[in-house]
Amino acid sequence: MSMWLEKALNRANQVQDWLSPVRMQALETLKQEKWPTRKTEAWKYTPVKPLERAEFNHTAQANVVDVESIQGLDSIDLVFVDGCLTTPIHSLALPEGLTIDSFESASTDVQTWVSEVFGQIKPKRHLFGLVNDVLATQGVIIDVNAGQKIDKPIRLIHLQNEGNEAHTRVLVRLGSEAQASVIEQFTGDQNSFSTNVAEFSIGESASLEHYRFCLQTNEAMSVGGSHFKLHEKSQLNSQLVGYGSKLARVDVDVEYAGENAFSKLNAIYLLKDKEIFDLHSTIEHAVPHCVTDETVRGIVGDHAKATFNGRIHIHRDAQKTLAELSNKNLLLARTAQINTKPELEIYADDVRCAHGATVAELDKSALYYMMSRGISKADALIMLNFGFINALVDEMPNEAVAEWLRPILRQRFKAMGSE
Amino acid sequence: MLTINNLHARVEEKTILKGLNLEIKPGEVHAIMGPNGAGKSTMGFVLSGRDGYEVEQGGATLDGNDLLDMEPEDRARAGLFLAFQYPVEIPGVSNLEFMKAAVDASLESRGEEPMSSAAFLKKAKEACAQVNLPLAFLKRGVNEGFSGGEKKRNEIMQMILMEPKLAILDESDSGLDIDALKVVADGVNSQRSADRSFIVVTHYQRLLDYIKPDFVHVLSDGKIVKSGDASLAKELEAEGYAWLEGYDIEENSEASA
Ligand SMILES: Nc1ncnc2c1ncn2[C@@H]1O[C@H](COP(=O)(O)OP(=O)(O)OP(=O)(O)O)[C@@H](O)[C@H]1O
Ligand SMILES: [Mg+2]
Repeated sequence: MSMWLEKALNRANQVQDWLSPVRMQALETLKQEKWPTRKTEAWKYTPVKPLERAEFNHTAQANVVDVESIQGLDSIDLVFVDGCLTTPIHSLALPEGLTIDSFESASTDVQTWVSEVFGQIKPKRHLFGLVNDVLATQGVIIDVNAGQKIDKPIRLIHLQNEGNEAHTRVLVRLGSEAQASVIEQFTGDQNSFSTNVAEFSIGESASLEHYRFCLQTNEAMSVGGSHFKLHEKSQLNSQLVGYGSKLARVDVDVEYAGENAFSKLNAIYLLKDKEIFDLHSTIEHAVPHCVTDETVRGIVGDHAKATFNGRIHIHRDAQKTLAELSNKNLLLARTAQINTKPELEIYADDVRCAHGATVAELDKSALYYMMSRGISKADALIMLNFGFINALVDEMPNEAVAEWLRPILRQRFKAMGSE
Repeated sequence: MLTINNLHARVEEKTILKGLNLEIKPGEVHAIMGPNGAGKSTMGFVLSGRDGYEVEQGGATLDGNDLLDMEPEDRARAGLFLAFQYPVEIPGVSNLEFMKAAVDASLESRGEEPMSSAAFLKKAKEACAQVNLPLAFLKRGVNEGFSGGEKKRNEIMQMILMEPKLAILDESDSGLDIDALKVVADGVNSQRSADRSFIVVTHYQRLLDYIKPDFVHVLSDGKIVKSGDASLAKELEAEGYAWLEGYDIEENSEASA
């Protein structure tokens, strides 16, 4: 047991709110969990050491911060600073069919359904997911009524400042045939720690567009996940971008609970210096006729270490499943590390699946070719890096979001360099 | 324009260029022929500054500036262009974006403004049409999945856009069908001017029917062993290289083995 976890458990005992009954169950499970070591399969390549003895402030008084909007994107923005929701929930002008609550503003009706769903989509095996269950006292609840198409994307911005620890929670429910777009965005580079868990229930024939931009870096530690449950004929398009830090871990889980559902999952990770990034995805094909298309690309430089573990589990009854998983990596330096493990576990006999992983080094002849055309080495590197992930950025369904992201990535590439 | 003086260069542990001399004046077209493995491509790589090619002796200047002292990108900005024998594929980087970056880099190095996207697109479309490539090739990844001949035409398109002082065309004619050969030759001829020079590396006299050289040189075992006018190419076509003085069959069959 680490000192950090011990203190977290003590704090959890003091949390008192309408979620307490569900939190207590999670706390019981959490108490049985072991602190991860090198021998813990799920944490094999990602040491949680930096957190073990870390101490943070838990009672941050957040100041309202102005957050830059995304040009060309008319979004509904909610801002968390050090885990505190600073956007007054009642000030939001919401379109018909959409309700957004904070944990505090939730009516008893909302409390009732949330208590039933909370922690049920996210698998219980995630240690820090359980931590979030017991400690996340701030969060938002997004409910889209059946048949409603919400044009404005909902953007959840999380800013993390030095010395603070934060635990935030997001719960999204799309009624049948509803449509919505949710952007989760995280920033921070100072010594801090946060867990951020989002659970999404996508109703029958509903469609969710989702972005998770995990842009915490340097000293900002974060562990979290986006967890999805897809009902019949529903669709998910999820796009993830991750930087690394002292400790950065994301879990993505998809569970098909109804037939003929489809998910497209794209992810990009870009690491420099001594950063660590760990992406675990688990897709549970529990029912027949569902389709998964997962594409993950990473660029890793300097002494950074990336871990990708992508598991697709096709249960016995999940006939006619189509599943594809591809992970391609570009190493910018011999000192960089990539651990990639795509896993297909197939128990049904009538399925079409493919998976593959590659690790390539930077193409020196391409670099020379570009320089022979007058392009500087630095610019050539940026273009080559961009070339490696461009296809995924181009696939982002919202062009304004992609446009916003491109210069951010360009800055990132500038900082990445190579040997 | 270009002066190569007693150039010796090696790659890895092997000396390839063994005393190369060449003097090219503005507006001239020099053809370089010679057996496989003679060092023709090596000359282009050494002049353009490829990693791993080490100059042992001698030098090269472009307009009086020491070429071998510059970074590869600065050589290009100074006006050197190499059309590759084997152009490199760069998946994910569009041809258009690549060429704009190249042209802008040269403009900026001269203290000029980069071109507007619209102005560049217009120029690129013209160059694309000139080498008879469909406009879709501007959008495609650089050389990505291009056929051999398409790659060669793409090199010529880049040359047209970069407006170099000195262009080295390394076998820009090999692998081309008859029509493409004309397209490439026309592309080159359209760029000929009193202040632009060319080195045309080729194995075939045929290209020189279209691009009339002022001089023809034979490069063998790392140096020029014979120079002449356009008629030399015809002789070579008829007789091969064996009759040349200083051409060592033993040495060369080893080099090309
Ligand atoms: N990395 C290397 N290590 C050792 N030898 C090399 C290396 N690269 C090239 N060479 C050798 O250098 C010699 C010259 O090669 P180069 O490509 O310059 O010939 P070339 O005249 O262009 O021939 P071709 O007409 O076939 O294109 C060849 O014998 C080749 O095998
Ligand atoms: Mg050659």
